[in-house]
Amino acid sequence: MASELKSAAILELLKQYLTTDEGQQLKKKINYVYQINLAPKKIGFDEVVYTIDLKKGEVTKAPYEGKPDVTLSLKDEDFVKLATGNLNPQMAFMRGTLKIRGSISAAQKFTPDLFPKVSKM
Amino acid sequence: MAGDGLLADLVNEIPQGLEDLLVSDIVGEEISCVWTLRNGGREFAAKEERDGDERPRNGRSGMCGARLNEIPTSTTTPAGQPGFYEAAQPLPLPGAEFDQAFPHPAAHPQSSEFLRGFRGADQNGFADAWDEIQRSNVPPPPLVAGPPTTRLPPTLDGPPQRVLSSFLHSFVGSSRGGIPFRPAPLPTLGLSQGDKQCIRDRSSIMARHFFADKSEDFINAQVNALLSSLDIDADAQARGPFPGRFRELEDYWNESQGRPGPHAAADGWISEFNQHRLDRDPDAWARSFEQQHGSNGWVSEFEQERQLAVTDQMRSANISNLAAMEQTRMLAHTLAQNNDPKFQNSKFLQFVSKMSRGELIIDDNQVKPSSMSAPGDWATEYQQQYTPGTWADEYLRNEVPHGPEQWANEFAAERQQNGAVDDQWVNEFSKLHVNDWVEEFGQQVNDGTLGENSADNWANAYDEYLNEQVAAKQQSDASRGVYVFSDMNPYVGHPNPLKEGQELFRKGLLSEAVLALEAEVLKNPENAEGWRLLGIAHAENDDDQQAIAAMMRAQEADPTNLEVLLALGVSHTNELEQSSALKYLYGWLRNHPKYGALAGPELSGSLYYADVARLFQEAAEMSPEDADVHIVLGVLYNLSREYDKAISSFQTALKLKPQDYSLWNKLGATQANSVQSADAILAYQQALDLKPNYVRAWANMGISYANQGMYQDSIRYYVRALAMNPKADNAWQYLRISLSCASRTDMLEACDSRNLDILQKEFPL
Repeated sequence: MASELKSAAILELLKQYLTTDEGQQLKKKINYVYQINLAPKKIGFDEVVYTIDLKKGEVTKAPYEGKPDVTLSLKDEDFVKLATGNLNPQMAFMRGTLKIRGSISAAQKFTPDLFPKVSKM
Repeated sequence: MAGDGLLADLVNEIPQGLEDLLVSDIVGEEISCVWTLRNGGREFAAKEERDGDERPRNGRSGMCGARLNEIPTSTTTPAGQPGFYEAAQPLPLPGAEFDQAFPHPAAHPQSSEFLRGFRGADQNGFADAWDEIQRSNVPPPPLVAGPPTTRLPPTLDGPPQRVLSSFLHSFVGSSRGGIPFRPAPLPTLGLSQGDKQCIRDRSSIMARHFFADKSEDFINAQVNALLSSLDIDADAQARGPFPGRFRELEDYWNESQGRPGPHAAADGWISEFNQHRLDRDPDAWARSFEQQHGSNGWVSEFEQERQLAVTDQMRSANISNLAAMEQTRMLAHTLAQNNDPKFQNSKFLQFVSKMSRGELIIDDNQVKPSSMSAPGDWATEYQQQYTPGTWADEYLRNEVPHGPEQWANEFAAERQQNGAVDDQWVNEFSKLHVNDWVEEFGQQVNDGTLGENSADNWANAYDEYLNEQVAAKQQSDASRGVYVFSDMNPYVGHPNPLKEGQELFRKGLLSEAVLALEAEVLKNPENAEGWRLLGIAHAENDDDQQAIAAMMRAQEADPTNLEVLLALGVSHTNELEQSSALKYLYGWLRNHPKYGALAGPELSGSLYYADVARLFQEAAEMSPEDADVHIVLGVLYNLSREYDKAISSFQTALKLKPQDYSLWNKLGATQANSVQSADAILAYQQALDLKPNYVRAWANMGISYANQGMYQDSIRYYVRALAMNPKADNAWQYLRISLSCASRTDMLEACDSRNLDILQKEFPL
């Protein structure tokens, strides 16, 4: 538990969010399957794989069975920055902190507004 | 610059040379350069005598001024002087000229005009003229005829020129005895306007050198006498700008006069060079300068030159000179930008740069014994001094120290050194699956699946990336837990900033309170209460990074403070830092006077959430009436995302502490994170009723509206929060996202520039 990724909280929120009306609209709007390889420290090492299936409206902590529209590899903390709007995914790609395999148009829709924001206590 | 002996020698030699010059100026063209080469040195002597150490560089600029007037007028600009301004901004580089000009004469209006004149003269007996020069010592006609010659009929030794020649000689002669020059009646010489201007300019300049020891009045009288005899208006445009002349030189002139020059032009050089090239073997010419001065990089020379210029500008403290300085800088910059190796190595440029500083003149102290300087002598002189050879041959023999081949070799060698890096980069890049990317991209562009703005997006993203590099550097401190103080804190020096800070905090003026408390902890860095309240203020101001940094300082000062430990647990939870959060929450338990006994020392090594949660459950059973333990438990359940349990813990605590606004906010945040946004908004409203300036609650309101798809509403709340704390970076990011989701891209610019006035007007709450 204590070693869990920061991203897990956001992905959990997204999972819940996809059950709401607004989440259903997001599903219609995007309609892609993203596989996210999250690395705690370095891309390619100890990756935790999540699937954000915006065709079905599901978030699972597992690789996608089949071919996702796009696979994104990035560090845990960069994912948090991306989801909170503090990191432009295109910028991250240019820096090499985000690695992309698959459809560019799907990747381009992988933006901060995809994610519900975490409220703070 | 040069030894005194040399200068003295030059000075002694001058009158002869000047005489040649002044005369040949009018009748010939090419001698001017010889004069420059020989006599520029005297400029230094004369100027230095006059000015002493006061303005040591005057010599140089003064010389440039003189040289400006030395330039043959043959390159008169075509009617309307179109070339005068056109090149002011994008400078045609001499290098390009250099490349093309050999087979085909230059494209510049000046030089083509000049060349037409040249060809015209050639047809009209140029060869004859040449023979004549070779045979006689008589002051010969211009080797290269320009507009003045075409205006003056090609009667090469016609009476007007002889008259003028002797008249000018007598003017020069008057300088030897220092006797006043007497006007003499002269026949009509048929001087053109250009000739007149030429004489006027040159005589006024040179007179100042002839009579360097005399007063200005005397000099003016001398010049006026000369000019009136020649029927030349002494005032018109004298020493003024010379349109259509050599712009670069003109700039030097202007610089020397403390005037901003309108141009930094390089084509002056080109024209000059073309002229010399046509005159005689250009290769030998160029090579000779190479031999004299080696092949030091001209760029560095320009750099030096520029620095000299800067120093001089500073000394004179003349603001208008800054423009001239800028010209020089631009010129050097423009030249430095040309990467053509041929250009960089061109002796022409080395010549120009050296000549512009007068080095050339001093080095070449060769003095001709002949009183009459024939135009042909100029080239012959070099032919004699240096074995004729061509530039091209030199390249073949590879004698040029930094010839293009060598340059290429150097580059190749350098590339090998850097090769590893390049390869690394390439490998790294290919790891990004660029091919997939590119294929995909091409395909999708063809399909038209990409939005029309996508290219712009990427370009913008790149700019942002560059900016981010800078910002990231600044942010790195904050993210490392180092507290970042505000600049220009008005509370520094306040007699009791802690009291002031507490007062401001109570009033809800969080940003002001932050400043006062910063002043306090600057004054008393060990004041735990100062740091703690500062941390609380930051948390309420929606800045967890700073809150954590401040709270860590508070904890250093007071390691067992429960409020501090709880605050650190909450902030780390907000930042999704589970293990840190767990550590501080456990620390709260351990340091609690009542529950500390529950926590055995065995847990202090590695913490497991389940163990900590179990301990808190025990504590809550022990004291169900203690709101604090329910609060900590609620935070813990947030960590494990057991939101239902968290919500009930907070609700229990609220029954005990209904006036705790931060507790209402905790409840709201927990509800929002378990997608009960509508409930969350009610809880936030409670918090805001208790504390209207609670920035965090305003921002959370925005989040809850946004997560329900009510972007317009969310924008209003974000803007409200930001109006209270413009430093809430997260809120700015969220605002940006809401703006684009609400299709209010028209306001993105205001958001990016953080213009709250516009945003508040557009989105009032």
